[in-house]
Amino acid sequence: MRNPIRKLTAIAAALALGWALSAGTLIGAFDVGPGGLAVPAGPWYNTAGNTWISKIWTPLVVQDATASGLAPALATEWSSNADFTEWTFNLRPGVTWHDGAPFTAADVKFTWEWVHAPGSQAAPETAPSPLVGQQAYADGAADAIEGLEIVDDLTVRFHTAEPSPRFPATLIKAYILPAHALTGVTAADIRTTDWWFTVAIGTGPFMHDEFVADQYWQLAANPDYWAGAPKLDTLINRYFADETAAILALESGEIHFTYVSGDVAVGLGERPDFELYSGPSGVTNYLIFNYRDPAFQDVRLRQAFLYAIDRQAIAEVILNGTAQVVPCITPFEAFWPETYNDYAYDPEMARSLLAEAGWDSSRELEIVTYYTSQFHRDAMAAMQQFLSEAGMRVSFLEDPSGYNSYFYTGQNWDVSYRGLGVNVQAFPYRFYEEEGWPEVVGEERTLMGQRFPELETLFAQARVEGDPDAYQALMQDICRVQNEQAIEGYMWTAVRFGVARADLVDFYWYPAPAGGPYDDRPELWDLP
Amino acid sequence: MFTFALRRVLTSIPVLLAVTILVFALVELAPGDVADYFINPEANTSPEALAEMRQAYGLDRPAPVRYAIWLGQVVRGDLGFSFVSGEPVARMVLRRFQNTATLMSVALAVSIVLGVTLGVFVAVRQYSIWDHALSALSFLAVSMPAFVTGILALYLFAVLLPIFPSGGIRSVGVDAGLWDRIHHLILPAAVLSLAQTATFMRYTRFSVLEVLRADYVRTARGKGLAERRVTMRHGLPNALIPVITVIGLSLPVLVVGAVFTETIFSWPGMGTLYLTAVGSRDVPLVMGLNLFIAVVVLAANLLTDLAYGLVDPRIRYE
Repeated sequence: MRNPIRKLTAIAAALALGWALSAGTLIGAFDVGPGGLAVPAGPWYNTAGNTWISKIWTPLVVQDATASGLAPALATEWSSNADFTEWTFNLRPGVTWHDGAPFTAADVKFTWEWVHAPGSQAAPETAPSPLVGQQAYADGAADAIEGLEIVDDLTVRFHTAEPSPRFPATLIKAYILPAHALTGVTAADIRTTDWWFTVAIGTGPFMHDEFVADQYWQLAANPDYWAGAPKLDTLINRYFADETAAILALESGEIHFTYVSGDVAVGLGERPDFELYSGPSGVTNYLIFNYRDPAFQDVRLRQAFLYAIDRQAIAEVILNGTAQVVPCITPFEAFWPETYNDYAYDPEMARSLLAEAGWDSSRELEIVTYYTSQFHRDAMAAMQQFLSEAGMRVSFLEDPSGYNSYFYTGQNWDVSYRGLGVNVQAFPYRFYEEEGWPEVVGEERTLMGQRFPELETLFAQARVEGDPDAYQALMQDICRVQNEQAIEGYMWTAVRFGVARADLVDFYWYPAPAGGPYDDRPELWDLP
Repeated sequence: MFTFALRRVLTSIPVLLAVTILVFALVELAPGDVADYFINPEANTSPEALAEMRQAYGLDRPAPVRYAIWLGQVVRGDLGFSFVSGEPVARMVLRRFQNTATLMSVALAVSIVLGVTLGVFVAVRQYSIWDHALSALSFLAVSMPAFVTGILALYLFAVLLPIFPSGGIRSVGVDAGLWDRIHHLILPAAVLSLAQTATFMRYTRFSVLEVLRADYVRTARGKGLAERRVTMRHGLPNALIPVITVIGLSLPVLVVGAVFTETIFSWPGMGTLYLTAVGSRDVPLVMGLNLFIAVVVLAANLLTDLAYGLVDPRIRYE
């Protein structure tokens, strides 16, 4: 603050009102934005919010700092057999729970059997790849999960039901729970129990201190944390109903960090008192076509969409350079082929293709979406204009609450503008495979109403390919097919931003999908 | 009066029943359900998981069955659990109601006191500079949307001039006492009271002016009473009757809250809870909120009617 009057006012107000933050207290809006959870949740039933949850609980592995690989957590190393049906994890020695009890392999087995017990309310997003005997256990036909073996106190072995070359990547949200401290609480109560907000024993760098519903969650440093006692005394997550409120709190000095949308990041990032954190969202925004409409079975119509929309201009101008055009569903350049069709803006080509496809220019298409942010509204407005100029009339229907029902089970949609998180370790095969979405009925039991045999062949190979180079080559082939055939209308992948006070020491944040968890080293965070 | 009140309470029961049926039907008619809320559309969630979730929440049962189950629970005093947070609905509603009642009652009290006072003030100074100035300001206050006023107020008094906190009910990370909570209350209550103050001022002004032209007031002046006594003793009580009606109509906001203001000031109240509940199709929470609001609104209407009897001795209840 350069203005001395403003500075004096702030100091006087702070002193008069007892505002001075306790030494060693970092306050952030960790659940604002796409990776956060508006309503706090505990592990195993959270669909996002992992940046915060991982401060208390820890899985065996987490994503690395840029969410492009894995990093050790409660497991220090892992290996598999030749066909990827058996994975052995060596656990970290000397780890204790927040109440001092030792962490052992028994806790891992307990966690799996607790979460998969009959009647469990665990969320599907948190589920790792299934193990041998897991379904029988969940159905109550077995007393234990046959496929989870305790080798010794610090070694567990997972036997997967199918070959799983990327099994460890499915464990990043599998937070390990304390066998000794969850007596009396079952997984059937997972969503209703207060345990997550009152007892909350984990192995993370911070321990539960105080949870005030709707307002904040306060944690205290865990002095026995295996990576070293945190430098901070207290870490607080404040809940905001709106990003604007969080930004105002950041600017007023009440919090140290928040997620911000791209248009705000551009301004705040230029200020010397703030530091901007950014990274790819891992989400591809695209148009998905309903092939049940015969018109979309014509590749010329699909390609016309791509030629008609100046995606580069939208990314650079409308979205302030915070998006990157993509050639296929995966946003990772390592999985793009060396050469591909960039569908550079060419409205003449679009009109020509529409004419060849016999497109009826009087027809209006409805594009359904769940996006309501200004970022996407601006992009959609531009898309609508570009398509109109090429001879296609479209209207966008925003339905954030009813989208899933409308899109996944209904069949009368024309096009949808949506996003899809694509993990480096996992591909959304389901969207393109037969019976990938069993609720959809019809001749072609696929989400889009069409089968893609060439893709299915590549998927079958990729699923069981354990060699990283061969896997990358297969991913590139998949991208090539999607790009050449314009299976969908691939638009861009956005960059997401967080802003923190510039004087924080060793603070780190990355826009990992669903908030991670990722290796953000919170034990090193400190205040000036 | 007791008989009157009892009759009103008894006739409220079918009204409450009708409200709950209507709300339930509207929520059912809206597309989507709570499973849609949980499933992040950017994630790759299986349809089996969606079906499991719907079954877990009883959404695979017919709507009338679900309503009957909910009604049976309510009769036993159980409003159920929120689908989204898993917390008991009654606990959530009461917690948020406390926050809303605190904020809205302070805002309403300030509005009533300021509004009535200023209304009388400008009424007895009709067409003066005060009358014109305050009337202009009242139009401005009524015209500005709450979210604009709120953001402006926050930016001015929490960012540029950090006199007030930027939001929340209390400070975090420190021991927050009563003064801290009052400090957090001032700015949102002031923003909320702006439009209400203007409304009450306008109604009071109009009502007082009408009363001051009445024959009995002229008679009072003719008897030689001081103008102040004429206004306050003879004019104001009669002028307050329509103002009480307006205030009574404002009482429901004590429960309903103000979504924009609560959102901007991060004040966890009934307004934002209701918005979240509807957006996430959290049926138990929506039903619990509506039942609570309906009960309070009916009670507020009854209190308003009873207040007439206190103000106007001509009114008697059979």
